[in-house]
Amino acid sequence: MSRHTAPTTPGDEGRPAPDTMVKVRDLKTYYEGGGLLDDRPVKAVDGVSFDIRRGETLGLVGESGCGKTTLGRTLIRLEEATDGEVLFDGTDITSLRGDQLYEWRRNAQMVFQDPDSSLNDRMTIGEIVREPLDVHDWKTPADRRERVKSLLDEVGLSPEHYYRYPHQFSGGQRQRIGIARTLALNPEFIVLDEPVSALDVSVQAEIINLLEDLQEEFDLTYLFIAHDLSVVRHICDRVAVMYLGNIMEIGPTEELFTDPANPYTHALLSAIPKPDPTASRDRITLHGTPPNPRYPPTGCPFSTRCPVRIRPDEHENLDDEVWEGINGLREIIRERMRADRSIRERVRERFGLETRFATIDETYDELFGDLAVPDEVDRVLSEITDAAGDHEEREALDRLNAEFGSVCDGVDPDGGDEPVEPEYYEVSDSGRLSYCHRHDERYRETATVIDDRS
Amino acid sequence: MSTTQSDSTDGLEEPDDDKLFRDRVRENPRPAMAWLAGLAFLLLLEIGRVFAGVGQAFGIVGFTVELLASVPTSVGDNVAGTLGSAAGFVATAVTAVLMAFAVTVPVAGSVPDGAVDVLGLDLSRRGRRWAKRAELTFVLVAAAGLVAYTPVGGAFSALIGAITGGVDALAASLPSITSRDLIPNTGHRLPEGGWEGTFLGLSPATAWAIRTGLVFAYATTALVWLWRGFDVYRTHYRLADWTPRDDTVRRFRNNYWGLFGFAIVFLFVVMALWAPAVSPVEAQHNIYEPNSHEFQYLSEDGEVTSTTHVFANLQSRSDGQNTIGPMSYDDYDRWAPLGTTNRGQDMMTHLSYGARTSLVIGLTAIGLGALIAVVLSLLSSYYKGVTDIVTVMASDTIQAVPALLLIMLVSVVFQEANHPIAQPLDGGLLLALIFAFAYWPGMWRSIRGPSLQVSEQEWVDAAKSYGQTPLQTMRKHMAPYIAGYILIYGSLLIGAVIISTAALTFLGLGINPPTPEWGRLIDGGQSYVATDSWHVATIPGIAIVLVVIAFNALGDAIRDAIDPEADVDESEAAATGGGA
Ligand code: SF4
Repeated sequence: MSRHTAPTTPGDEGRPAPDTMVKVRDLKTYYEGGGLLDDRPVKAVDGVSFDIRRGETLGLVGESGCGKTTLGRTLIRLEEATDGEVLFDGTDITSLRGDQLYEWRRNAQMVFQDPDSSLNDRMTIGEIVREPLDVHDWKTPADRRERVKSLLDEVGLSPEHYYRYPHQFSGGQRQRIGIARTLALNPEFIVLDEPVSALDVSVQAEIINLLEDLQEEFDLTYLFIAHDLSVVRHICDRVAVMYLGNIMEIGPTEELFTDPANPYTHALLSAIPKPDPTASRDRITLHGTPPNPRYPPTGCPFSTRCPVRIRPDEHENLDDEVWEGINGLREIIRERMRADRSIRERVRERFGLETRFATIDETYDELFGDLAVPDEVDRVLSEITDAAGDHEEREALDRLNAEFGSVCDGVDPDGGDEPVEPEYYEVSDSGRLSYCHRHDERYRETATVIDDRS
Repeated sequence: MSTTQSDSTDGLEEPDDDKLFRDRVRENPRPAMAWLAGLAFLLLLEIGRVFAGVGQAFGIVGFTVELLASVPTSVGDNVAGTLGSAAGFVATAVTAVLMAFAVTVPVAGSVPDGAVDVLGLDLSRRGRRWAKRAELTFVLVAAAGLVAYTPVGGAFSALIGAITGGVDALAASLPSITSRDLIPNTGHRLPEGGWEGTFLGLSPATAWAIRTGLVFAYATTALVWLWRGFDVYRTHYRLADWTPRDDTVRRFRNNYWGLFGFAIVFLFVVMALWAPAVSPVEAQHNIYEPNSHEFQYLSEDGEVTSTTHVFANLQSRSDGQNTIGPMSYDDYDRWAPLGTTNRGQDMMTHLSYGARTSLVIGLTAIGLGALIAVVLSLLSSYYKGVTDIVTVMASDTIQAVPALLLIMLVSVVFQEANHPIAQPLDGGLLLALIFAFAYWPGMWRSIRGPSLQVSEQEWVDAAKSYGQTPLQTMRKHMAPYIAGYILIYGSLLIGAVIISTAALTFLGLGINPPTPEWGRLIDGGQSYVATDSWHVATIPGIAIVLVVIAFNALGDAIRDAIDPEADVDESEAAATGGGA
């Protein structure tokens, strides 16, 4: 693995990008908070940069809720980007308006996840597939009918289906109809949003094969969003791994699957059952759930669950379970900080009555109760819990970060005040990038740490 | 009513398959011809009434247009009163332009693009849409101005007058199978026995029964003809061999409770439409102008004498002491199939014309309210955000005022001011408008969930992804799904409107005499329920209960019919349809 630092905007300098079709730069898509008081946006996509090359299939994987669908929708302007650029052959499409947007929409289409919901049941198949042609006033009505029939043929249905209704078709067939509609305008780029996840396993392969054939025939470029990794491995040329609105690792599929660089990729891959029992890597179990994207952690997005999180040297040898407890404590304090307690609850708390929040002491017992915590650590921890108990959450957090925080939590190792985030490191000759401090030569490699800690 | 839903979906298929449909008919014209011949035959039988109906439709359209046309000037006058005449003129013009523009938005889509090209402008797609609307607005305003401010207007109204006059003359001279002229049932006994002036010399009761029977036979035939039309289209001309609507129809046909509701509603509507035919005496004579209409009867001393309705009515009251019950003649040889009212007028006539009143009010109120509700629910669920919040606030504000109180308040204000809108139906139209205003928030609320749900469907996203316009997306991809729901709530609410109208009239607030109304009948008869004249309040009471139940049953049945989940063999349909 090469360990020199690559620029955060990959491919911009030096690296020749022979035929880049889509260039995404620092793209952010935030949803405004629905509440009246809480106006923190949900950071669904929080600054991602990558390229999609002409004719390739780029996979986008991650747990549900990681922002992959939002990213796909932003690329075809179903969602408005909050910030950043999406360059399609050099044109920034995030700022297209009116007729330009309407014209551009021909080029980029989407296949939706749920075939039950993506076809309007009150229209015949013909009308459904034709609608894009009607909208774009494509040739004459008779031509459109012809085209629809040939499209139906193309996706493995028969022209007689023109006058049938979606109800009359199975899930796989409905997905074919959706694909025919997607192809109607001859797009160059198609976002496939988990196109087979709602289908029976038996038909998944058929649809995947169809998509591959169509790609070849029409020179299509795919962004394939999925959470089924085996499908991704089969169809994608390159894969981007997404977590909490960030791309953690992006690179050629085989390489990424056989030799993951990023801790999150490790974790994700270790969740697939291994066909090869002799594979050396141990199974890493991820604890907890991804954080709320409205309140992403400072520093590395994965820091709350990372199995190889960088620890301060003096605590490197603390028990893993104690570390888990510390992480849990941090999360709980963060939660308490943002939970808005009603006045009633404040009053109840004042008088020592029960509230819906467990007291911090209870929490402490739960987390560390039966662990052997070294004395000096225990002292710090009780300081922290005391502060939190007095609703000085800010102070408690600061104390916790000062003692147990590392560069992964955004603590600047050089003593700066601004929280630091990881950078993209180029981790192989193919230009694979990974978003993790572990690639910095100051820290040990991921693989060794995994072996160490497990 | 049930055509609304199919209309909205049928409309989608037409623009392009239009030619195909015509071709298909040309290839196989016989079924279509037979069906059209049926239509011609039916129309011919009732040709007089058809023209009368056309005349009435003209009247309604004329009234609406006049009312709308008076809006800009009245706005202008109000402004002129405070800001001077120049401002008044501007206000008139602005109001007129805005109203014209509002008309063009839904219409512009179906006008060919050619008109816009005249200007030779290079416009964007959006620009073209707006240009088209602007041009249409211009044309409309120009035409309206021409009619309002130039001699053309005079010629125009003369033309309209001539057409209306012609239609009315036709209506009067052409025969109808159910007309009073063909089957008269008003006559008098002869001293030597038998009847004079009735159909074939039969008794008035028999003649009336024949005529009423004919009316229902005719209406039933018309219904069968409609059903045949659907069937013919389905078997001979439709390209799809199955549509979701087939299932809806099938489910409805197997729902006996719904069919019962439909039957009652059908009776009610037929009674309202053919009110002149099913009433034994003419409403004009018996109810509206009893002073000026005389008729003959065989008096007790065996002579044929003549008297006015007003006098005869006085003697025929059902007021506890005196009773003309159902299925009897009064002392003046007048047949009263449902007896008389407490004021001596004919109950059947009241009931049928009252059905007309209720139906007009119900349909106007629900139609208008549903329109507002659907448009707002489409807009608020498509755009969400601010549009949604504004709609929520507007509807909450209206709902915060108790509906009945609001209705009473507004109706009293307008009636006291003798506003022109309070004239038609003696306050009926006013009531309908107020109901529409008071009930749209409820309807909007009840379809809000479904419309939000449908706006979240991926096919709406898909439409957006290939650049479909918001208006078309709402019309094609959202409205058809809401149509079913609004039908359900509409038919449930129509019962509420009918009963509220009756209740208000019962309280003396809703519809003023002489327009017949069921609530007033109940009011008039309530004190005699325990006497011989029990029928005065009981008959309209039962009628109202039946109609309201029927509309509810219909609404329930529609709900079950459009809900595919209610169907067990849906999977079967999918299995037979797929296969390939
Ligand atoms: S930066 Fe730290 S927390 Fe993030 S993935 Fe790397 S090691 Fe884990």
